[in-house]
Amino acid sequence: MKNQKNKSFLKSLNIEAWFGLIILITMVLLGILVPLLSPYDPLKSAGETLLAPCKEYLFGTDHLGRDIFTRTFASTQLDLILALIGVSAPLLIGTILGAVLGMTRNIFVSWIWMIIIDAINAFPFLVLVIAIVAIVGPGVQGLLIGLAAVNWARYAKMVRTKTLTLRDSEFIQATNVLGYSRLRILFKHVLPNVYPVALAYGLSDFVLVIITISGLSFLGAGVRPPTPEWGAMISEGRLYLQNQWWITVFPGLALSITASGVALLANGIMRRIEGED
Amino acid sequence: MNENKKSKKNNWIIIMSRLVKNQFIYNLGKAVLVSFGVFLVMFSLIRFIPGDPVDMILGDSATEELRAEYREILGLEGSVFEQLKTSLGNIIRGDLGTSVVTKQSVNSIVKRALPPTAWLIIVSLFISLLLAIPLGLLVSLYRGRWIDKVFQIISSVLLSIPGFYMGLLLILLFALKLDILPVAGYKPGFPENLRYLWLPATTITVVMAPVLARVLQSSISNTLEQEFVETAIVRGLPRQNFIWRYLLRPSFAPTINLLGYMIGQMLGAAVVVEIVFNIPGIGTTLVIEGVLQRDYSLVQGIAFVFGIIVVIISFISESISAWLDPRGRSS
Repeated sequence: MKNQKNKSFLKSLNIEAWFGLIILITMVLLGILVPLLSPYDPLKSAGETLLAPCKEYLFGTDHLGRDIFTRTFASTQLDLILALIGVSAPLLIGTILGAVLGMTRNIFVSWIWMIIIDAINAFPFLVLVIAIVAIVGPGVQGLLIGLAAVNWARYAKMVRTKTLTLRDSEFIQATNVLGYSRLRILFKHVLPNVYPVALAYGLSDFVLVIITISGLSFLGAGVRPPTPEWGAMISEGRLYLQNQWWITVFPGLALSITASGVALLANGIMRRIEGED
Repeated sequence: MNENKKSKKNNWIIIMSRLVKNQFIYNLGKAVLVSFGVFLVMFSLIRFIPGDPVDMILGDSATEELRAEYREILGLEGSVFEQLKTSLGNIIRGDLGTSVVTKQSVNSIVKRALPPTAWLIIVSLFISLLLAIPLGLLVSLYRGRWIDKVFQIISSVLLSIPGFYMGLLLILLFALKLDILPVAGYKPGFPENLRYLWLPATTITVVMAPVLARVLQSSISNTLEQEFVETAIVRGLPRQNFIWRYLLRPSFAPTINLLGYMIGQMLGAAVVVEIVFNIPGIGTTLVIEGVLQRDYSLVQGIAFVFGIIVVIISFISESISAWLDPRGRSS
């Protein structure tokens, strides 16, 4: 039954979403298979420094003689996993908190929370993440804390709005009459009805999170070199832009292609949910 | 007597609800509350981290005198309530504090760094609007045809290219290969600074223009479904007359509303773009002096300025859009 449902879901996707899905799967496969495809180590010198792209080194080598091809696809897994955590942590926190805030009848509590949520949303996304990373400390840990601490507010606001419209519907009223506990109403009746909104937003949020993670690494506040990561690699290659463009261009290309794959997939799914197409 | 008291209370509720119904006063009240929220977020930021922030800057081996000095700069003396009172008082007086590292006042640092950022935002905004309005109109008039579909896909792809990468590609093409614009840097003064701003502004535009065009498109499509538009079509009004009076004007309200939000996002994008193009603006200061040198009070001050600017801009844009289209009152 479930299989059938999945099949019809895949079938119903439009060309845009299929295109995105294929891009994404290709990038993930390349990321997993890169140790088989390339004889070089992403962290060790593979030959001469600053070699232009050629047969042995498809994307060339960097200032330390490392193979750019190996490093570019070695980054895929790290970036995607970080983005997955960076999306799912705030998604979970924001959805539950938003549902609780939507259900509460205490005006004072919900007002205070709404002011905090609006204030967090008022900051430019990147600026507040940077501020939190500055205070928690640069690095992967700071990056993920920063993303979660800022992004939950968007989900909470959206889910709260959705919950408010749900709260006065008849079936929720009925659970009140039946005398179910608040927790049961929240987890069994409210959350199953509001989470699709958050999930759909989370998908399009994925692009923003990938870009933010590599952006912070580019600024020196995220993943640190020598770990292969797109933003950090671009930051290293920047100094050689004039004569050795390949150090910068290839990691950036991989990053942009992956992000557009996610964006196309998200767009396609969003349209299907909205019932266009 | 009890009744009298009750009716007085009722009067108050009526006055308050009338005030809240006035869109302008509602927006103003919201802006003031959110500003207070922005202050609270910045205030609690360094107090939430585990451990002593002074230890995190100075390490364990610092002298007691130095610690006391840093404590004072960061406003960490006395009880939390006293700290809140002092720093709220400072903020209301317009004092953003002192930098821990350089010991300069944050106000003077912000004043020095704000003009290049403001120029960058203004030029980007100008180019974005110049591109987005005709583009949004074009794709909404041809909705569902191939122009629209191509635009949707291209804008998704453009949105997925990070600003710092786009900036570096533009440098590679226009500054290093074609050699028609400077690689990076900035010179103050109006006509001269434009030469340094074209590439960074283009970088921001590439991300912003498709978003603006999409919003304009969806709001024009909504307008197209309205009855007065149908009436206008049936009446056979001339095309250009029809486009401006019946389509664009009512569609501008949501776009201007969004413009406030977009300026906020542009400020975020400007941080990265300033670093790429080496513009001595507020974003460069935030990252180079604030984050990399762990200057807590500078980071707090600058982030607060960013938050307040966005609150003010969204207040203005919401007021304008309420004035443009009084029907679209958000409750």
